Amino acid sequence: MSLSVSVSDDIDNIERWPEAALRSWQAERLTEVVERARDRVPFYRSLWSRAGLGNITCDSIDDVRQFPIINKQDLINAGSEWVPGSHARVGFSTRGTSGEPLVVWLSAEEEDVYIVPTIRGFRWAGFENGQTALLMSPVWHRLAACESHAVVRMGGRCAFFWGSLGLQYAGEFLSTLRTTRPDFLTTTAPFILALVKYGEENRLPLHDLFRSVRAVVAVGLPLTPRTREYIRDRLGVGDVFERGGTQEGAAIDECRFHSFGHVHEDVCYLEVLDSSGHPVAPGQRGRLVVTKLTPTGSVFVRYDTGDIAAFASEPCRCGCTFRRLKIFGRPESSVEVSGRMITAYDVRLCVENDPVLVGRNVLLIRPEKRSSGTLSIAIEGVEHDTVAVQNRLCEKLGVDEARVVWLGSLRVAWGFRQVIDGREVGLGS
Amino acid sequence: MPGRDANLFFDVPGATLRFSSSDLEQWAEHLAWCYGVLGLRSGCTLAVQDFGNSPLSFLGSAMLMPGLERGVAEHLRGRFICLDASAERVTLTPALLTQVTVDALVVRADVMGLLDAELAKKARGREQMQKMPQIVVALGLDDPSPHGDSRSLHYLLNEPAKMLMAPQCPSCGVFHLRGGFYDSDGPTIHNLRYDCEPFEVSGAEILIRGFCGSEDLGLRFCAAEGDSKSL
Repeated sequence: MSLSVSVSDDIDNIERWPEAALRSWQAERLTEVVERARDRVPFYRSLWSRAGLGNITCDSIDDVRQFPIINKQDLINAGSEWVPGSHARVGFSTRGTSGEPLVVWLSAEEEDVYIVPTIRGFRWAGFENGQTALLMSPVWHRLAACESHAVVRMGGRCAFFWGSLGLQYAGEFLSTLRTTRPDFLTTTAPFILALVKYGEENRLPLHDLFRSVRAVVAVGLPLTPRTREYIRDRLGVGDVFERGGTQEGAAIDECRFHSFGHVHEDVCYLEVLDSSGHPVAPGQRGRLVVTKLTPTGSVFVRYDTGDIAAFASEPCRCGCTFRRLKIFGRPESSVEVSGRMITAYDVRLCVENDPVLVGRNVLLIRPEKRSSGTLSIAIEGVEHDTVAVQNRLCEKLGVDEARVVWLGSLRVAWGFRQVIDGREVGLGS
Repeated sequence: MPGRDANLFFDVPGATLRFSSSDLEQWAEHLAWCYGVLGLRSGCTLAVQDFGNSPLSFLGSAMLMPGLERGVAEHLRGRFICLDASAERVTLTPALLTQVTVDALVVRADVMGLLDAELAKKARGREQMQKMPQIVVALGLDDPSPHGDSRSLHYLLNEPAKMLMAPQCPSCGVFHLRGGFYDSDGPTIHNLRYDCEPFEVSGAEILIRGFCGSEDLGLRFCAAEGDSKSL
């Protein structure tokens, strides 16, 4: 008891609390969330009542497992029964990569809570008082909206470039980079990879342009170790950090050891579950389920994000006790071959085993039949050692057969979509 | 003095906007005033399809900019939906309008055509919309007429480099340059609240204060026939 009280007084240091104290604190937050949802969100009241959970209490964070898992379609169908009150003033849209987008609402109170982990993540990535950060647009994502608040609270300056995160705005981005000389940069991984290519094709002095940048923080695509090195070396920046998160409240940042990212367990409780809804062991992949630990804004209790993720098996050397998790992809960035779900991340790991192929865009080609044992992929650029690539794919991913299509001069932009139809690259009927 | 001790820098076409957090307050209030002229009322839900660097976006709420005590949403006691103006995000808007009742959708003029096409493509989505929002087209000074249909659209001048935000009055049809924010010297317009070069607006006539019963200046476009800004 005394341990719990003493650590709870030290909330600023929650990332180093012993696990028992952290879980106990999370259970208290979960209780608040559940009570609020039951009182104010008809969707949950009705759902839980039907499930016989009308008056359930949460004595432990494990009690979260009693609640039914929900998904995006449930919330779309719920309509106004799920939308929070007017205290949640700002709405963001999900990207709609898995079908319809969903409007998720953020309240000022909730944002204030989420700025804390943003500051923590930026601190891990080396941001310091007095520095300038070139940031993603605050309207892009709820996590991006927290970024400028975090930078200013840390005593920094914020710069924003004109346009959006597409290659057509590369010129605007580089212009702002040139004039603001930021120390710190947040962006999406597809955008920064596209920018490297754009810079090389146009023979831009990327090292000079990025000379001031000590850290790049990238979201939106799981980075392989070699992709991280590629970005770092081609741009000549100090380090590259992966940031993860979902509009539904998951928040993840890497520390300097760059293994899996640390889940900010003061704002969300994440589960990785198998297809039956049971937790999988650390190291094993499953579906990511999010419970947001703040009771305001859009409430998410056991929301299946559709992401494929795994917890790390070992604690981190940095001393942070928050669990570590990697999001590998989503069903729409994966294909099922020989009964296995293979993500674009897995394929890039194999392809990049050959240094010549690092940094090339790799896309999965959707199998024509569900039962296919053949993994087909498309790799940007000219052919290089096809047999070796195919052998590696078979060996490391356990598929019967692998086929590689080289895209040659065909341009395929880096993006969030990583699975294409074979007809898009001249395959199939 | 605007821009002193600036810690927020926004690159926009033709300029870099520099603000300290406290500078933004008056502009958020002004933008809320613009929406009031356009007919938006307290408690409304406003969606803005624009880039994050546009004042129409970053002034949307205190939650989007550090130090901003009250953004547009707080002034209007309403809600603000962030819709980036990239093509991929524009395609999502019709589906979003089936989920949320939006009172006004503010759209950059250069993506209005794409949005129109998406709305037409998703006719089913239109049927599911509880209420078609009032559409406000955000026009830059150099924007041509975004399209030639005869629907009842509302217009808001938005020239970020000059911090010019001026609504087209539904009563008189003239763009109101709010008194205390803008002044004129012959054909030259001065921004009284942001340190930028005075500018002229080609093809427009400036109306002196007192028109439409207001203390504002007026900007009446006399440009080519069919131009959305002309009457």
